[in-house]
Amino acid sequence: MVVGGGHAGVEAALAASRMGKTIGLVTMDKTKLALMSCNPAIGGLGKSHIVKEIDALGGVMGKAIDATGIQFRRLNLSRGPAVWSTRAQADRIGYNRCICEVIAEDKNISVIEGTAGQFLVENGRVIGIATESGEKIFSKAIIVCSGTFLGGLIHIGEKQIPAGRQGEKAAYELTKSFRSLGFEIGRLKTGTPPRLDGKTIDYAKCEIQQGEYPIPFFSYTTKSYNVDQISCHLTYTTAKTKEIILRNLDRAPMFSGQIKSKGPRYCPSIEDKIFRFGDKPRHQIFLEPEGNGTDEVYPNGFSTSLPEDVQLDAIRSIIGLKNAEITKPGYAIEYDYCPAYQIKPSLETKLIENLYLAGQINGTSGYEEAAGQGIMAGVNAVLKIEGEPLFVLDRSESYIGVMIDDLITHSTTEPYRMFTSRAEYRLALREDNARDRLFGYAQKYELISEEDYKEFVDMQNRTIEKIRMLRKKVIPISKLDGLSKYFIRKDAVSLADLLKVPGVTCNDIIPFMTDEQRDDSNDEIAERAAILIKYEGYIDKQEREIEKFKKLENESIPKNFEFASLLGLRNEAREKFDRIKPISLGQAGRIEGITTGDLAALAIHLKKYKSQKNIKDKQ
Amino acid sequence: MAIKFINDDTIAAIITPQGEGGIGAIRIAGPESNKIISRIFLRARSDIKNNIPFHLYYGHLFNREGEVIDEVTMVEMPEGESYTGQTQAEIFCHGGQFILRQILNEIFHFGARPAEPGEFTRRAFLAGSIDLARAEAVADLVSSKTEYSYHAAKNNLLGKLTDKIDLIRNRALDILAEIEADIDYPEEDIEPANENKIEQAMDEIIAELAELASSYRSGKIIKEGYKIAIAGRPNAGKSSLFNLLLNQNRAIVAPVPGTTRDYLTEWIDLDGVAVSIIDTAGLRKPSGIIEKAGQKSAVEIIAAADLVIWIVDLTRKSWRKDLLKDINDIRNRNILLLFNKIDKINIKNITDKDILSISFKYVLFSCITKFGLKELKKELNQYIINRMPDLTDGLVITSERHKRKLDLAIKRLKRGMITIKKKESPELISFEIRQGINEIDEITGRIYNEEILDRIFSKFCIGK
Repeated sequence: MVVGGGHAGVEAALAASRMGKTIGLVTMDKTKLALMSCNPAIGGLGKSHIVKEIDALGGVMGKAIDATGIQFRRLNLSRGPAVWSTRAQADRIGYNRCICEVIAEDKNISVIEGTAGQFLVENGRVIGIATESGEKIFSKAIIVCSGTFLGGLIHIGEKQIPAGRQGEKAAYELTKSFRSLGFEIGRLKTGTPPRLDGKTIDYAKCEIQQGEYPIPFFSYTTKSYNVDQISCHLTYTTAKTKEIILRNLDRAPMFSGQIKSKGPRYCPSIEDKIFRFGDKPRHQIFLEPEGNGTDEVYPNGFSTSLPEDVQLDAIRSIIGLKNAEITKPGYAIEYDYCPAYQIKPSLETKLIENLYLAGQINGTSGYEEAAGQGIMAGVNAVLKIEGEPLFVLDRSESYIGVMIDDLITHSTTEPYRMFTSRAEYRLALREDNARDRLFGYAQKYELISEEDYKEFVDMQNRTIEKIRMLRKKVIPISKLDGLSKYFIRKDAVSLADLLKVPGVTCNDIIPFMTDEQRDDSNDEIAERAAILIKYEGYIDKQEREIEKFKKLENESIPKNFEFASLLGLRNEAREKFDRIKPISLGQAGRIEGITTGDLAALAIHLKKYKSQKNIKDKQ
Repeated sequence: MAIKFINDDTIAAIITPQGEGGIGAIRIAGPESNKIISRIFLRARSDIKNNIPFHLYYGHLFNREGEVIDEVTMVEMPEGESYTGQTQAEIFCHGGQFILRQILNEIFHFGARPAEPGEFTRRAFLAGSIDLARAEAVADLVSSKTEYSYHAAKNNLLGKLTDKIDLIRNRALDILAEIEADIDYPEEDIEPANENKIEQAMDEIIAELAELASSYRSGKIIKEGYKIAIAGRPNAGKSSLFNLLLNQNRAIVAPVPGTTRDYLTEWIDLDGVAVSIIDTAGLRKPSGIIEKAGQKSAVEIIAAADLVIWIVDLTRKSWRKDLLKDINDIRNRNILLLFNKIDKINIKNITDKDILSISFKYVLFSCITKFGLKELKKELNQYIINRMPDLTDGLVITSERHKRKLDLAIKRLKRGMITIKKKESPELISFEIRQGINEIDEITGRIYNEEILDRIFSKFCIGK
């Protein structure tokens, strides 16, 4: 059973369904599956990497955004391929409908409208839930993806409204049930900007930002099709905006003390930005259309919980928004979450067996982060029921692995968003190789079709051939024109050498190929080959780092290992180990405040434990 | 790391130096410490019930037969608050090896085992009382021979090295934050990372690391002593000079571990600097197979020496020709020429031309009459002092591991510089800098976490 029909819940249900289970998806409103509560966009740095990984694991997010996107772009194209990132504006309603259809068509999933109120637990195992209206639903495993609905409280200026989303009921009983089972519950805050009526915006005063062709889609399954891409606009706040906001700062819940929980630093409210970076003359605001069939516009960068009258004044002080009307006010929302030291790498809770948590309840923010956890929780819940080994991705193979490891190791105290800088093996974790990294797992757990897998293996082989060709094909230096300056004292260079020059792309080397070589491959293979060549030396170095990393990761710590009684450890280290219960020496070392001394002591105890266990086993 | 670090037994050792002294001290560390104390120590005032940690108690120390060994004072420290992080006790008795040995025997009898060299420090390190750099400093401090090595080790122990490295590391993280912000926030209205600023900061960091790394030259001398090789053609008077220097200076008895070699080497204290004098005599037998092997060693010694005293026998007719040839072989070493046997020749036979053609410092000398000895010592002192760092606030690394890590960090950061200069994309620049920081972190044993993001958020106005 999955509780919550947001981005995490939907992926969890679909993954479990692909693995042949029947799922009850409990949600308050079955028409609101995978609704985009905040900005109408998917992807961006770090996030798009997760979407590609979800896609490689057979998930729905990439397919849905490809089908309903209204503008597609790739960010960071001037940088290296590891940090290229796809981003798409979504048709909010279209996306939600698309997911509703997918769920409706899935024979294994039945949507149940209701609000989970209480866990039914027997001998430390969850066996079902009771809804707030008293109905009991039983299941072998339960995945909770509560989003901002758990104890949700909206703030708009001095006004406080109990709600899970603007205009929607929140869930309060379930927090009590968590607490009575012994869970520590914390509180986080996030916010959203007001929505504007696009008809009242003077776009002529704003900078235009257009979509990209050929369209960069997310899913490997998407066959290229033509999208009539819409434009976004960029505008700026003014000195007047600053003046209005500073004058009303005492009415902002974040400043008046009305909100005490922590919000995301990477997505601060406009009042926070103006207050903290007072010397900045202006802040940029992106005007993003919410879809084809609506005039509503999302002013990205203007998240706020100021009172409605101040919001309107401030919005109208922005360039091009002089006559703008607000259709829905911005707000801040506080909600309950469960600090993630309480879950295992499989996302199952440590306290209650067969209970899984995914999404904002673990302290993350963002659709992509939620969906990534959802798919992992879905797969693991099924594996556990089948008695199979768990599915855990590590930091060297995926952003999803980085995220889950960060969560369970650090127990975030602010909403967690993915960034590429979080991934120490960033050069190896790219959008282009998501399938190289994860398709093997997807095939193993039958999350994708056998044809898809075979097709991909074929693509891998053709990539290798392509690289071979690029290495072999030699061009006399005289034909290189401007590029020849990179090759002093050489008569001829291979196409591969050429590709390694900063700034040279696959398109630049096409003129040097024969027609046959050109036709030999499609664009994707050419790009994959070019990336591998460009990064060649670095990928090798990163691989060596990964080997080092895996050594510590493979030093597993037994489940029943008693950290609390270890001698020779500092108390701080002992408490942290005991609380987080790292599963490997590698994870133990990533715990904040742990020193190499602590780690060395732990390693020694572990060796002793294992050698004693060996002796015992032999006896 | 060796497996023998297991910490659950109790260890004891004499912690005052060998030899006679007024007071001797013994340390016991481990879970049995209190129990052992209760078996061998009786307080003079028995009206106090329990020993209070960190209180010094006067009393008597008994052997297992109930006989008093000595009057002592004793202090106990609880787990978590002692140097080793474990329950610990220290006994101060009258100095003298006999008493100390007897007490130690009783401690072993009641369940402790002898501590291995450096084991208290290792436990302190494992307990987190000190970081890696400091643990290494303790080892240096304990084995320090001279005032200089003591100061260097102490600076390190006080955490000065850690502080300095943290400072450099923080600057590297700042650079990284700039680059990362640029990567992760392509659409933000933040100033693009300023390449010139980054290059300049990188240059500074590399320079600081290089300065620290190069201090190992001094550090090595401080720790291992200044190596002076005495070399020259056969019968030039090498051994005579060797013996003369030893007799004139206080020789250091304890050899530095790991310097046992088959040639003659002795330690002297030259103005607070440990100097090892190596006599290459005997390495160069006139003929035969030994000559070849010997020559090779002499070449090695000369190559490793900080200073070579090259002795010239002025009574040899061919000394001018020989010298020109020999000098050519050792041209790039630090050389002090010693014109020996000045007593045997008429000094007027040595012309200005002879000497002016040689661009090295020289001393006219006689091993027999000790003519020139004063000048030789002056030259040696001058030479050594010039190469000694200012230890009042200067920092010197004395560990080879630190040196290696610093070199690696510099290498990675330099590669980072190349990627910047080549205008490679920022994720590659970041990759190199991160590797550099990882090397730096291995010096202090820090494990690196979320710090880059923290920096980005505090520095830039980020977030749409």
